[in-house]
Amino acid sequence: MTNPSHPIANQPDSQVKPTWLQPLLMLAPAGVWLALLLVVPTLLIFELSLVPGIRPGQVVNPSGLDNYLRIVQPDYFPVLGRSLFFSIGTTLACLILGFPVAYWIALKVPHRWQNLVLLGFVLPLWTSSLLRSYAWITILRPTGVLNTILSKIGIPPLDILNRESAVLIGMTYSMLPYMVLILYAALEKLDRQLLEAASDLGATPPQAFWKVTVPQSLTGIAAGSLLVFITSMGDFVNPEILGGASSMTVARLIYNQFLGATQNWGFGSALSMVLILVVSIAIALLLKYGDRSAAGGV
Amino acid sequence: MIGLPAHFSRRSLTRRQILQTSAAIASGMVLSGCGWTLAEVRPALSKGNKDDLSIYTWESYIDPQLTETFHTQTGINITADIYDSNETMLATFQTGKGAIYSVIYPSDYKVAEMIEKKLLSQLDHSRISGLENLLPEFQNSVYDPGNQHSVPISWGTTGLIYNTDALNPGPEDWQDLWQMQQPLNRKMTLLADVREVMGATLKSLGHSYNSTNPTEIKQAYEKLVQLKPAVTTFTTDAWRDRLLAGDLLLSMAYSADAVRLIQENPDAKLRYVIPRSGTSLWSDTMVIPTTSPNPDAAYAWINFMMQPSVAADVTQRLFFATPNQAAYDQLPAPLRNNRSLFPSDEVIKACERIIPLDAKVTELYDQYWTKLTSG
Repeated sequence: MTNPSHPIANQPDSQVKPTWLQPLLMLAPAGVWLALLLVVPTLLIFELSLVPGIRPGQVVNPSGLDNYLRIVQPDYFPVLGRSLFFSIGTTLACLILGFPVAYWIALKVPHRWQNLVLLGFVLPLWTSSLLRSYAWITILRPTGVLNTILSKIGIPPLDILNRESAVLIGMTYSMLPYMVLILYAALEKLDRQLLEAASDLGATPPQAFWKVTVPQSLTGIAAGSLLVFITSMGDFVNPEILGGASSMTVARLIYNQFLGATQNWGFGSALSMVLILVVSIAIALLLKYGDRSAAGGV
Repeated sequence: MIGLPAHFSRRSLTRRQILQTSAAIASGMVLSGCGWTLAEVRPALSKGNKDDLSIYTWESYIDPQLTETFHTQTGINITADIYDSNETMLATFQTGKGAIYSVIYPSDYKVAEMIEKKLLSQLDHSRISGLENLLPEFQNSVYDPGNQHSVPISWGTTGLIYNTDALNPGPEDWQDLWQMQQPLNRKMTLLADVREVMGATLKSLGHSYNSTNPTEIKQAYEKLVQLKPAVTTFTTDAWRDRLLAGDLLLSMAYSADAVRLIQENPDAKLRYVIPRSGTSLWSDTMVIPTTSPNPDAAYAWINFMMQPSVAADVTQRLFFATPNQAAYDQLPAPLRNNRSLFPSDEVIKACERIIPLDAKVTELYDQYWTKLTSG
């Protein structure tokens, strides 16, 4: 019995190639970029993190998890705790401050003004973050702008600078535009007919807000919160400039390991890997629960 | 911040330089045995234009007037990059960017480290005039005996600058900080430098600034914990405005910074004091890295800075103490007798240079520092 000729056998090779590989040429530059500047360095940092106490000039000879074991010493819990405190605090503050603003822009501001108002909100991002942190010193210091105003209206001065509150203020100010942008993107798609229906069916405005608006914007809230949290975890500038005598965070500790006196790049790398891990978990949550289109809109 | 005159150019990498830099970075990962060597990057050798000189220095050591005078005298253009800590300098230098610099200004202990790493070229003393003008203790230092690799440009102490209106009498010694916690409460800053802060505390306990004894180091940490509630923050730079405004009453500072602030603000009631029981003595130097693209211009610069008139002029304008006896003699009497800038021999005797400690002790210092700043 002869084999019936296969209809595909005669067709040119190119058509057999899976379609997902076709844009390979266009993706290659970005792929090389990612591989060389993200994947390879991350792998190198991972390798360094396995060498206890390595300093520049020494041979990289991975030998175990000593650096990671050192992180779980109780000495470093306060550092991780403070980083989490700053990040979670900033996230909550941004959410509480950002939601009304995004709501107002998305639902109350006339459509043709929306972009302008949004632009106004993003404008601070165009200046250097370092400069914005220094501006807060001028505002918050004991004889600064804030206390001058307070004393004019008869309120006793506030000692905020170089305390945790100053760091939270600085970080919230830095991150707020991101939160507003993402929440705006989510709220803009809100189905207003549902709000009308809720009101027709006897829901009070607060009830309608909690039962209709919030559930619909939940993905935006998740995306905004996680983005703010991720960015805050790595923030070095605000704790460094606005923080006080007790403002050691993971990012500052990493800086100290690489550029401080110890030059312990191994421990610094292990700390970096832990930070990358925490952020990766947050990103995984973002992909699962966040509104991807909202996150992509930034 | 320094203004950039016309012949200052913002450094932009040419394609050749980028290739060299990437080659240098790649060469940093030298395979050796079973692993690779970390970041022991030798900046790639590059040939510089003989009329261009790149300097890597501290913010307060160079200003347009200085570079213009040099340009008039020699026709060489200066490009200056600024760093704010020795560690940043070395890290930047080793990532391959160092290839562009012909003169660098490391501090004493960093000179020793850079000599050990074979990054510095041996100076040809026949090409430098005026070495004999240096004060005797700077001709034969512990970090670089015989100035084989470095020429000292300035020296100073670490001390306390305070508001004389608010603190009267003011502190005279480190120990006084603990006694004055009440008036100083959250109106005091210490340096953001583990060795300086721990060293000062060790000194207040009667130990060496460079103690390697774990018990003594622990004792110092515990003493610092008591002082911490009164400390606003640890900072090396961000105290000036706030001290002038009265937000701060006292800051631990380097003499050069403190004297400059006092001289530039004669109306402010500020005083710099060198603690009685002793403090750290530092000096900054000029070195020529082995990778220098333009050693001739580097020697020209060092010779220029060694001229007594230039050194005296710089001391008067930028307020750092010159180790150059001939320049010192040319200074006006008030500056010459400024005991903050030029302390007496007796005070100097009580001081110590910060010396590099081995990795294990450095690690111990760092652990206590992390505990201190996170607790």
